[in-house]
Amino acid sequence: MKKISLKIHWKTILLFMAVAGPGIITSNVDNDAGGIATYSMAGARFGYSLLWSLIPIMVALIIIQEMSARMGVVTGKGLSDLIRERFGVKITVYLLVAVVLTNFGNVIAEFAGVASSLEIFHVSKFISVPGAAVLVWLLVVKGTYRSVEKIFLYACLFYVTYIIAGLLAKPDWGIIGKSLITPTFDFTSARMGMLIGLVGTTIAPWMQFYLQAAVVEKNIAVRDYKHSRLDVMVGSFVVTIVAGFIVLTCGATLFKAGIRVETGADAALALAPLAGKYCSALFAFGLLNASLFAASILPLSTAFVVCEGMGWEAGVNKKFSEAPQFYGLYSMLIFIGAGIILLPGIPLFPVMYISQVINGIVLPVILVFMLLLINNKKLMGEYTNGRIYNVISWMTVLLLVGLSLVYLGSLVRL
Amino acid sequence: MQKLEAPFKDLQATNINTFLFFSEIQGRFVVDEDGTVVGKLADLKLRLGELFPTVATLVVKKRREKKLLELDWQEVQSLNTTMIRLNPGACKKFRPLEVNPQEILLRDELLDKQVVDTFGAKIERVNDIHLLIVNRDLRIVHVDYGIRGILRRLGWLKAIDFLTNWLFAYQFEEKMISWKYIQPLPSGPAKQNLKLNVTSRKIHEIHPSDLADIIEELDQISRSTVFRSLDLQTAALTLEEVDPKLQLRLIESAPVELVSDILEEMAPDEATDLLADLPEEKQQKLIRTMEKPSREAVEELLKFKEGTAGSIMTKDFLSVRKDKTIGDAVEEFRKTVYPLESISYIYVTDQDNRLVGVSTLRHLITCEKDATLGKLMNTHLVKVEPEDNVNTVASLFKKYKFMALPVVDKEDVLKGIITIQDIMQSQL
Repeated sequence: MKKISLKIHWKTILLFMAVAGPGIITSNVDNDAGGIATYSMAGARFGYSLLWSLIPIMVALIIIQEMSARMGVVTGKGLSDLIRERFGVKITVYLLVAVVLTNFGNVIAEFAGVASSLEIFHVSKFISVPGAAVLVWLLVVKGTYRSVEKIFLYACLFYVTYIIAGLLAKPDWGIIGKSLITPTFDFTSARMGMLIGLVGTTIAPWMQFYLQAAVVEKNIAVRDYKHSRLDVMVGSFVVTIVAGFIVLTCGATLFKAGIRVETGADAALALAPLAGKYCSALFAFGLLNASLFAASILPLSTAFVVCEGMGWEAGVNKKFSEAPQFYGLYSMLIFIGAGIILLPGIPLFPVMYISQVINGIVLPVILVFMLLLINNKKLMGEYTNGRIYNVISWMTVLLLVGLSLVYLGSLVRL
Repeated sequence: MQKLEAPFKDLQATNINTFLFFSEIQGRFVVDEDGTVVGKLADLKLRLGELFPTVATLVVKKRREKKLLELDWQEVQSLNTTMIRLNPGACKKFRPLEVNPQEILLRDELLDKQVVDTFGAKIERVNDIHLLIVNRDLRIVHVDYGIRGILRRLGWLKAIDFLTNWLFAYQFEEKMISWKYIQPLPSGPAKQNLKLNVTSRKIHEIHPSDLADIIEELDQISRSTVFRSLDLQTAALTLEEVDPKLQLRLIESAPVELVSDILEEMAPDEATDLLADLPEEKQQKLIRTMEKPSREAVEELLKFKEGTAGSIMTKDFLSVRKDKTIGDAVEEFRKTVYPLESISYIYVTDQDNRLVGVSTLRHLITCEKDATLGKLMNTHLVKVEPEDNVNTVASLFKKYKFMALPVVDKEDVLKGIITIQDIMQSQL
């Protein structure tokens, strides 16, 4: 009896391994340079008091991503493909322009992350940024989907540096436990703004596109869908743990010392005298890994999304002459994104700012489209949302839409 | 009321021959004979069957009415790019929209969707649809898949044309495919292959290797629908070409009887490779459903371990007894109905089926009809055993530059042959 059950277990694990990847990768890319900066800021400014909010954010993340993965498995089509077929070319084109702009802002942020994290290790940005751009570009142009996915999965392992850094910072576990169980919140604008920032950095438009495309690329059968769902849940869980450790590292050190930070690299530098040089180095290395990782995925995902929606050939296994728009857009995002970092006196803040504003406009549109698509019987057959699930997901989406609109309002007022 | 800008195309005149794009009339007002707005043009319904099918009805969305209504195309009096004018009394003839399997909605099932271009053997996305008014009928003639189609629908075409002309003296090309090469694809899980069957003859004109590429690019629903619409031989050839992971997916999605028929059409070694990757249960089920000669061949090949000569050899070869004449061999050749993988060599055996020599196609053509094979054959044989490693076999091919090698057992009995294609595939 026991032997049989063990055998089934192995089979399940193997199947999971075959299906896993998209969810875990997407979630981990989510902890990119922008994400790390936001988590560091949250920890440095509010200590452990916002830690609890990561749990509801994780739930929302799982709900949204589960729908993306399900659409990918059932329809076998990407999100921009579905939006084009269902809502027509006009909406698609304007939406894609917005997605390209906001993703471009993110790409710049990733290269800024590469530059600043390597500057901590005394590498000039004039070496690190071009090097990173070429590396990222080659990875996709010369690689196959499977080899690239493997590299990405290994890159996920490096996020463990944040957990070690967190342990080195010697946080007070008693207080952390207490603040997780008894969430406190007041509606001061600073705290509210930070909370919205956390949500905004965790649930971004590009993720839905990337996750669905990656699921489609894997050709996952509908009957294996439950493994794909597990993949999404594991990914969301891991990303929350890592985010939590970043918050508590900064909470245990910077918050106590009263140091405010604006970026992940600031945090890494400020950590050195407080938690030791190893903690600081680990933090900086984590930032480098995250920035590189996201810098490889974001341009790729953007190029895919655009080509799919417009009906142009796309894919890493195509030659340049077969898919010129795909490679053109992909290369442009990387090299212009990296080039901007190298220009002296470029004001990064306005670029980030505009990208965040567009992000805030695009996210509600995409979330609503997703809900309309997933409840379309003609498309999803028996795999539409159940009634209760629909209520929960609509509520989640409306909450997110509300938050991003409030955030947008606060950004524009600035 | 809006002022009319474009001149009316009067459909009552029989000699009118004009092209127009679907995007130029979609969403425009439908008005009655007095110019009162009835609704908006939501869609056009096409009746498939002819080479360039005609529009059967126009689908209209009336204000404050949820359901779409349709009206025969014959009720249209005239049209331009701002409105469509109906015949007197046509307003009473609206009926609720119904779509038969032989009909297709342009906006709902074609525009923005993917189609197969069977001439270029590619998948394209429909950006616009080119129509032709001829003798009162509206016919579909082209599908626009170029950037101009997108710009036209966005309303930017004139501005962009002006800009590119002014800057580079260039204009984006019109990219269209004639409707006779267009294969529409199913739009969702609900309606399956019905529509494909009406038009699927087009898809058979694509070379199996290209078909395999197309199938790899499609989503799962279209993929299995297209695959099932193929005739057995095309399906078998296509299946041999697609990615192994997809092969399994296609086989799983099709009914067992169909799959076993396709497997019979495939070369036995290819079929065996495919079967070897299936779960035991499914494999046995499929083998049981197969007809005798193919089944036996497959069952024997399945016994060999992966990476051995036996696992890649084929049973399709020609062997003739050594006391037979050239004439007999030619006759034998004629009688072989199934396509042979390699016709370069004719293997010569003794009465116990042991391999004793090899003769070539050249002998069959150039020698006297009554010469016996035993005298002509070459007895210096290079042969392999089923248990030999594939790499060893590959190095033999490299060394001797043969087109095929015979596989024999310990008693020299001929078991199969390995062709240069087989070895190339195993080495990739």
